[in-house]
Amino acid sequence: MNVRLRDALPLVLGATLLLWTVWPWTPLARLTRSGPPPRTIVLYGFSILGEALDQAVLPEFARRWQAATGERVAFITSYAGSGTVTNQLLLGVPADLALLSLELDARRLADAGVIPAGSWLRLPFHGVVNRTPFVLLVRPGNPKGIHDFADLARPGIGVVHPDPLTSGGANWALLTEYGSAVRRLPQPASADAVEQAGYRSLLGVWRNVVAQAASARAARTQFENGFGDVLVTYEQDVLPSGKKKPGQDAPRWEIVYPPSTVLSEHTLVVVDRNITPEERPLIDALVRFLWSEPAQRLFVERGFRSIDERLNGANPHFGVIRDPFLVSDLGGWPAAKREIIERIWKGRVLPEIGK
Amino acid sequence: MIAAGPRGGQRAGIPVGMLLLVLLPLILMPIAAVFVFALRGGLSELIKALSAEDALFALRFSLLIAFLTAGINAVLGTFAAYVLSKYRFPGERPLTIAVNLPVAIPTVVVGTSLLLLWGPIGLLGRALEPLGLQPMFTPVGVLLAHLFVTFPYMLGSVKPLLDDLESTYEEAAYTIGASRWQTFRWVILPALRGGLFSGTLLTFAHSLGEFGATVMVSGNLRLRTQTAPLYIFAQFEAGNVAQANAVAAVLAALSFVLFFYLLRFSTAPGARRKA
Repeated sequence: MNVRLRDALPLVLGATLLLWTVWPWTPLARLTRSGPPPRTIVLYGFSILGEALDQAVLPEFARRWQAATGERVAFITSYAGSGTVTNQLLLGVPADLALLSLELDARRLADAGVIPAGSWLRLPFHGVVNRTPFVLLVRPGNPKGIHDFADLARPGIGVVHPDPLTSGGANWALLTEYGSAVRRLPQPASADAVEQAGYRSLLGVWRNVVAQAASARAARTQFENGFGDVLVTYEQDVLPSGKKKPGQDAPRWEIVYPPSTVLSEHTLVVVDRNITPEERPLIDALVRFLWSEPAQRLFVERGFRSIDERLNGANPHFGVIRDPFLVSDLGGWPAAKREIIERIWKGRVLPEIGK
Repeated sequence: MIAAGPRGGQRAGIPVGMLLLVLLPLILMPIAAVFVFALRGGLSELIKALSAEDALFALRFSLLIAFLTAGINAVLGTFAAYVLSKYRFPGERPLTIAVNLPVAIPTVVVGTSLLLLWGPIGLLGRALEPLGLQPMFTPVGVLLAHLFVTFPYMLGSVKPLLDDLESTYEEAAYTIGASRWQTFRWVILPALRGGLFSGTLLTFAHSLGEFGATVMVSGNLRLRTQTAPLYIFAQFEAGNVAQANAVAAVLAALSFVLFFYLLRFSTAPGARRKA
């Protein structure tokens, strides 16, 4: 009897596990669930959006939609580096909407025919949902005395940087490393002086890059785990607001605001080919909601800077930047990509470091 | 005086100690770390982390895929082993090699090639698209990847047993008028029990932990196609180490039970048969 019992145990364990596994898919479980299944929206976002969307903005939309129509809405979301998300979209993931870190990724989608060319430009604010400046994150007390991008070039500084191949944040970081140096030049500056200043700044930073991560969020995790002395990243991702629950450890870092830095602009794309006519009103309502004041206020609460400047006073954690600039100040993304990222960073800086 | 053999007690101290010393940093401490980090916030935190909707879904979904993969590959693998072991045909050797290849191909490559084959812009995918069928980025895509990656395990567990099986038993069965199916059911299958059992468990365990191919073909959608390993990776990347380790601890505990039975069964087949 004893032996039989012992032999039966794995069978019983296996059967229990199987039952637990398939339970939600059995007709019995369906009966206990009330009401029709919720309508679903599939949304892909770049890495730092996770909490702001999943915990604040999307639930608020679902609440409003249900109040207005009685229908429940469920969100199926996925977050990764903006480049990774873009590659997934190119391969055909079933996204209805994607919030990308930079317009450049929207252009890649348009070039591949995933979305109509320039379709995001017809959205409010040319598709830009919110912004956040690029900052430097250092160890508590700023032991290495880092105050600007130029300090990153000093010997012995370890820089943690997201990977420009997959991370939108890394591309913004390249712009700010270049732009902050260029904007310090006495005006008017010759084209040659501009290029030299930008090249030197990028070279200085990239000589000291000790770790590259696939996304800005992954780079932050690396920094948190003790790698490097400084991280170049989105202000939103390192602000205390709405991120850490009370009782959690205080962040083991300090934010340094460089005198001059770029404000990243995050672009929404609507993937029309994955949206059925029945889904259209729901998706359109969500798109409108993202630019509404309640949604923008939620973004501000969660550390993003609103496209509506008047709302940004609501977050006391926002730091002061003396000279913020936009990608349009550098000639827009296509030119910035061609000149700064491809020609100078990839063409001159990387080969120089490889030597 | 007789020296203690390899199984003797007295002299085991030194080699066992040395083995432990090597295994401690390599294997044992990393395993312990999973549980230490999962339990750092206390048991209630662990339970809270596990009752999150997406964590629960990821575990369930992983188990579902593992059950399906183990079930399907148990049948397919045994069939493949039977054909490859009992029949001689041209191309048998290359085919044998081909079906064993999935162990050696990097799983990321498996994921990419599945995408290039079944994806919306893929070879077969393009033909399926007009029919409204799209296996990639759905649970079916995940299942396809797991079937591919784990295929050799069943084959490897069953085929050696079939190769060793004396054909006289089979012939005897035929002589007394048994059909091909009867012979398989009553003569061959009982002899394969051990292999079937260990092959199925290995397949199950591997499917539970599969990452590389899954991350490519699943689209990583929470509550839809996110398996437990993908959940762990996503949570860890997002800095939610406690969430990640809670699910990792469950996977580790499950594997422990799986291999406990796998070992007990494969080391004592005689004891089992008597029961």
